[in-house]
Amino acid sequence: LGDAVSSHRVLVVEDEQKISDAIGKGLRESGFDVTIAPTSEEAFYVLHSLRPDMVVLDLGLPRRSGMELLRQIRSMNIQIPVLILTSNNSLDDRVAALDAGADDFLLKPFSLSELTARLRAILRRGRQPAVSEFGLADLQVNLDTRTAARGGISLQLTLREFDLLVYLFQNHGRTVSREMLARDVWHETSRFTPLDNVIDVQMTRLRRKLDDPYPQKLLRTVRGVGFILGEPSE
Amino acid sequence: MKRLRPKSVRNRLTLWYVGVLACILAAFTAMACVFQFTILRSQVYHDEIQDVETVEGLLYFDTQGILRLRQDYYSHPQSRLLVDRLMEVRDLSNNILYRSDTLKSMSLGRSDQGVDEGGASFNERTEKLDDGTRILMISHRHPVEGKMLLIRLGYSLAPVIPRLERFLLSLLLAFPLALVLAGFAGYRIARRALAPLETMASRAEQITANNLGGRLEIENEHDELGHMAKVLNSLLSRLERSFLQLQRFTADAAHELRTPLASIRVIGENALRPDQGEEVYRDSISSMLEETSRLNQTVEGLLLISRAEAGQIQLTVASFALRDLVEEIIDLLEVVTEERNIAVVQRNPKESETLVLADRTLLRACVLNVLHNAVKFSPVDATIVCSYLKVERNEQKLLRLSVLDMGPGIAIDDRDRVFERFFRVREVRPSTEGAGLGLAIAKLAMEANHGYIYFDPASQNGALCHIEVPIP
Repeated sequence: LGDAVSSHRVLVVEDEQKISDAIGKGLRESGFDVTIAPTSEEAFYVLHSLRPDMVVLDLGLPRRSGMELLRQIRSMNIQIPVLILTSNNSLDDRVAALDAGADDFLLKPFSLSELTARLRAILRRGRQPAVSEFGLADLQVNLDTRTAARGGISLQLTLREFDLLVYLFQNHGRTVSREMLARDVWHETSRFTPLDNVIDVQMTRLRRKLDDPYPQKLLRTVRGVGFILGEPSE
Repeated sequence: MKRLRPKSVRNRLTLWYVGVLACILAAFTAMACVFQFTILRSQVYHDEIQDVETVEGLLYFDTQGILRLRQDYYSHPQSRLLVDRLMEVRDLSNNILYRSDTLKSMSLGRSDQGVDEGGASFNERTEKLDDGTRILMISHRHPVEGKMLLIRLGYSLAPVIPRLERFLLSLLLAFPLALVLAGFAGYRIARRALAPLETMASRAEQITANNLGGRLEIENEHDELGHMAKVLNSLLSRLERSFLQLQRFTADAAHELRTPLASIRVIGENALRPDQGEEVYRDSISSMLEETSRLNQTVEGLLLISRAEAGQIQLTVASFALRDLVEEIIDLLEVVTEERNIAVVQRNPKESETLVLADRTLLRACVLNVLHNAVKFSPVDATIVCSYLKVERNEQKLLRLSVLDMGPGIAIDDRDRVFERFFRVREVRPSTEGAGLGLAIAKLAMEANHGYIYFDPASQNGALCHIEVPIP
């Protein structure tokens, strides 16, 4: 999956330079080709001249708002995926953005890993490879039989632990945040539920089964950011 | 039409008042004139009857048999209304026997006579002479020296008219004077009646966001204006309350946000000192990110609370078994409880099946917060007991979920304060510190669901939290 995005051009429409620089840097490191536009007008020009593959659009732009730009894009029948960034977490805003034709919606402050994951998800949409078996080092995960094994020895995982492992696998090599886990593995809709503790403990237990007996550790904690399942480290 | 309308209520009231008074005065004047005329006329008739009686004694037939009026006796009535007596005497065959010179050969009344004119008593009526003079006249039959005669006696109406005119004139002179006086008085009264309104208005103008403590003065709380002032005052009280709440909220929020900001700043400054190794950088950045996520949680919680307090959260009320919800949460927390070998047991299986009526998401947030706290504060190997009981409060049927933990419990003084936002029990280790909003959100969730949440004061060991949810 990592290589599939290398040729994709992302247009980032964001007027706050610190944020747009950081996003640009992060996305470039993940293999995206990034163009930044600080205003709607410039974004519109880039849309026509460079023909990007997707748009990351901030709603709070000066002069013409992101929502206006989105409506304009859709009214001109341009079928480009748009991910909305906003600092307003009201249901109305979300509904309005999705109604106006947004493909996804991310609330500020967000983590870079989450933004990258969402963009990949949008790219994957509709052409999800029917892979039922993953492998990483000596770890094997089979979605059909819902089994995981390391070095040929089966891991006794609970349902939740297995879901967690699959999710980490789908994002392997990249950090996943606690927010992403709460939403995608625990399916928790509200962002204000005390789940961090639950997630941490769950992760500790998964690690106990997955890594503790083996010298090669696959699961790492990135303090302050989240967790990462990746190539073995000592 | 609209443009002629006076702008102030006071002027409008006065104008209406004067207008109505003018109409009443006009009607009164008309009635008074009619009444006055009637009185004058009856007075004239009365005097005429007396005159007829006098004249009857002065009539005689002379030697030639001609009817004459004795002139040697002064017979004129005293009334100033009667000037120049007009008199005619006829016999019953309608022959004119006497006609006063003042008539100048004109007939007094009709030339013929009615069958019983003057027969019964004194007939009173108005007539018109040939020269147009209006008169009031009396007919009366009276025998003179054995012969029955019809005496017609009349006086001109002319002296009555100026009297009436004078009367009308005096009324008309008084008329505008009365209107002016009444208008002035009306204006003053209206001004006095409306004066409290102006006081209220100027007082209200002084009340701004900075001094919402000001109130309108109430002179008499039972009259209409007093009632209005009372209503406005209670509006101001409500505004002041929510405004103070908002101020406190903002202050609390700023304080809570400042703490992680301070950490981020100090950590950053430390990291930027010269000759720090990569390990230090990594550690600093991680700490900063941790603080960021704490900030984020605080902001999320604050937004949730402010939306709930503004009533902007839409409830999706459904009926469901409270037990199912609790079990779901116990499952969710299982990894944590297992890790610390904490057992969560449910009591009263029968009551626990009871359906409750609530917004499931909100109730879940509430129970999750309470149970999470119970787990957090309980020692290793503890048992947390969830029990159910049907209760009634203010004629409302509720299902009470009681969660008893084995933690340090809650000090009596803190029992209500734990539900305040940003309240934290002081002895708690920093590692278990959250945003300090969990119970505040739990309480808001219960308030939105018309339920209750409180800590039992009687609990001896561990905190005992009661959550009461309405039963359909």
